Amino acid sequence: MEHKNEQPNEAQGHHISSYKEHFSTLAALLLLTVLTVAVSVFGADLRSLSVATALLIATIKALVVAYYFMHLKYEHKLYRWLLLVVVLLFVLFLVVTSIEYLNR
Amino acid sequence: MTTATTDLNFFQVKRGLFSWIFSIDHKRIGLLYLYSLMTFFLVGVTLGVLMRLELLNPGKDIMEAQTYNQVFTLHGVIMIFLFIIPSIPAVFGNFFLPIMLGTDDVSFPRLNLLSWWIYIIGSIMALSTLVFGDGPADTGWTFYVPFSVNTTTNVTMSVLAAFVLGFSSILTGLNFIVTIHRLRAPGMSFMKMPLFAWSLYATSWIQLLATPIIGITLMMIVAERFFGVGLFDPSIGGDPILYQHLFWIYSHPAVYIMALPAFGIISELLPTFSQRTIFGYTAIAFSSLAIAFVGYFVWGHHMFTSGMSGTGRIVFSIMTFLVAIPTAIKVFNWVATLYKGSINVQPPLLYALAFIFLFSIGGLSGLVLGALATDIHLHDTYFVVGHFHYVMFGGTGFAFFGALHYWFPKIWGKMYNITVANIAFVIFFIGFNVLYFPMLVVGLMGMPRRYYDYLPEFHIPNMISTFGSWILVTGLLLMLGNLVAGLFNGKKTGRNPWNSISLEWQTPSPPPLANFDKLPELPEGGPYNYKND
Amino acid sequence: MEHATGLVLPNSGHNRDAEASKMGMWLFLFTELLLFGGLFLVYMVYRMLNAEAFLLASFELNIALGTINTVVLLVSSMTIAMAITAIQKGDRKTSVLLLYVTVALSLVFMVIKFFEWSAKINYGYFPGMEVYQNLPAGESLFFFLYFFMTSLHALHVIIGAVFIAVVIYRTNKGFVTAEKYTLTENAGLYWHLVDLIWIFLFPLLYLIH
Repeated sequence: MEHKNEQPNEAQGHHISSYKEHFSTLAALLLLTVLTVAVSVFGADLRSLSVATALLIATIKALVVAYYFMHLKYEHKLYRWLLLVVVLLFVLFLVVTSIEYLNR
Repeated sequence: MTTATTDLNFFQVKRGLFSWIFSIDHKRIGLLYLYSLMTFFLVGVTLGVLMRLELLNPGKDIMEAQTYNQVFTLHGVIMIFLFIIPSIPAVFGNFFLPIMLGTDDVSFPRLNLLSWWIYIIGSIMALSTLVFGDGPADTGWTFYVPFSVNTTTNVTMSVLAAFVLGFSSILTGLNFIVTIHRLRAPGMSFMKMPLFAWSLYATSWIQLLATPIIGITLMMIVAERFFGVGLFDPSIGGDPILYQHLFWIYSHPAVYIMALPAFGIISELLPTFSQRTIFGYTAIAFSSLAIAFVGYFVWGHHMFTSGMSGTGRIVFSIMTFLVAIPTAIKVFNWVATLYKGSINVQPPLLYALAFIFLFSIGGLSGLVLGALATDIHLHDTYFVVGHFHYVMFGGTGFAFFGALHYWFPKIWGKMYNITVANIAFVIFFIGFNVLYFPMLVVGLMGMPRRYYDYLPEFHIPNMISTFGSWILVTGLLLMLGNLVAGLFNGKKTGRNPWNSISLEWQTPSPPPLANFDKLPELPEGGPYNYKND
Repeated sequence: MEHATGLVLPNSGHNRDAEASKMGMWLFLFTELLLFGGLFLVYMVYRMLNAEAFLLASFELNIALGTINTVVLLVSSMTIAMAITAIQKGDRKTSVLLLYVTVALSLVFMVIKFFEWSAKINYGYFPGMEVYQNLPAGESLFFFLYFFMTSLHALHVIIGAVFIAVVIYRTNKGFVTAEKYTLTENAGLYWHLVDLIWIFLFPLLYLIH
């Protein structure tokens, strides 16, 4: 399973992100925002793919926020596992529910 | 190390009402939960007995149809949200989790106290529907739309109460997870934890990840009642079945919030009373996680007749059968633990054995309901009522009382009268089966649930069932009376009256404030290997 | 904490444990994710059932204001992340300054949100109003979800701002230091969650053309 014996420990010492790293993160996020708005406003011919694109970009943005702003990248791997399980659980809720509704 | 105060146990360190209701000691908070839970439980039992009394004969006996609707709703709300969901984790989890981990408290002691206060506020809100407005909700504890949106009874308050109680449940779960991750005794790895801690760990994850869904769903009901927007109204594109989906996405996992801690209790009782280590530790530990995970995806089996798509029904039915696998793994391992053990028949063991028996009936009748074809016939009949009482009361309820008898000498340092406890158990067990078994039968005959009246051909089983409720209450009162008498006049016991082989019995009874008077040592070969002289 | 028995356990629930607080915060964020997750589920189902109506209704929303608010939240996410860096380096003054900026940005977000809402309410799109009652099937559901989700999100913005205000107060009092900054970290985590939710709300409500 996801966690055996190693526990996150204070002794590991904390990573201190630099101001520069935060600036670059913000720049990436703003770029993605511009991209997603542009796809929506100018890319109307994507049709059904437009929602998929928007969600894909949103997911990337969310990962950037989680990894860099929320320091997930520098945390003990337990946190990444837990987040993965939670997200997986929620996605499966959506999948199972859509199986039900798409076959009505 | 010895000071003048060394011998004080946690009851004696401080006295007075405030030292209890504002205590951050996990042991006191556990007992606060115990006392409040038992109070609400007795209210719920009273309502249940009144319902059975109404069903003694066909036609009106003691209450009107509308009163009956409100009584069964309140019975459900109290028993589910006030008693059985918090029961084992909040009482025994709080009291014993830190002790079993070899630490002195949970990770967030103040949050723990807060969650008790939130529980009390939620409970008062739930009970306040008795006095305010148009009386308690008459929707059933499931609050199905559209009726829950239209009825004039006090649905809003009941729903808000469930919301608040959900908060308390989340905070307890959060606290336990962090405690298990952070505060295990040095050297105690996950695979060396007592199984009760494992079951609490799985339970806490369900509490944490399922409860928010019911929170937001109940908020939608409240918004719907205030703005009347028709959120679940098909005429504007909504779907009433979506409410049922959301409700059961929480409420089915909630069944495992109730059942998993009970499994944990049984896994503690059997090694003690068969004097050997648990059989299949790893299988039992991981089957808890498996049940928790699979249990998230079976919610649709509550809705087979509500108009879901055929594919949806098949998926949910298959998933439902999958849950039986980890559950059966547990049952086989428990039985294997008893095999060749030196069995010491004491009241807690009787409750554990009754649990295995009754829970198996409950589980097997659940398979009947999980199969699509049979469920069409049995849905909304008394078979369902019989089934979930076997699972919830015969399962979790018996485990709860088994745990109470098991840890009674640890918590209070006194012993109740064993003979009386055995007699009370027999009456309780017989009463239980006389009460609920006829429900399975009458359900197969086709008697629908949730009516205050029934056709004359169902008279005899209903009468037997009502007699059973009287036997059950007799047994219950005798059992509780015996325990209360034990509190006052019981003989003092030492650390380990059951000769148990697990950690919590290594400390004095009652435990000192810090839980241990010497550093807890871990035995070789797992948590069920403490040597007693 | 030392108990009456004089026994001090190495793993005590009464010790300060920064890792435990952070873990508790993460677990709490998981519950928040699923709280909004329930709403996303409702959104998904109703969009499946009313695809056309959701599309039409979403044209009523103002992409420009939505985008500005997205940028505001992203910038505020950076400022609070920087506030953590500052306090880790022991620079209390910069940390507090950055926290003030974050609170200010949360106010900007709320003001813009207020103007957006009042525009929609002026059109009569608020649940229960006359125009709302006569909307075609499905569109009313979109606006209900719009108000429900954005107001629940706004509630989290307000709670987050109050949380940050508490951090400012505690930092000024000297309770938050380069060695003891869990409070700032937790406020940051909470604030990033508010941002995360908005990252998904924004495309789902404004950009589904």
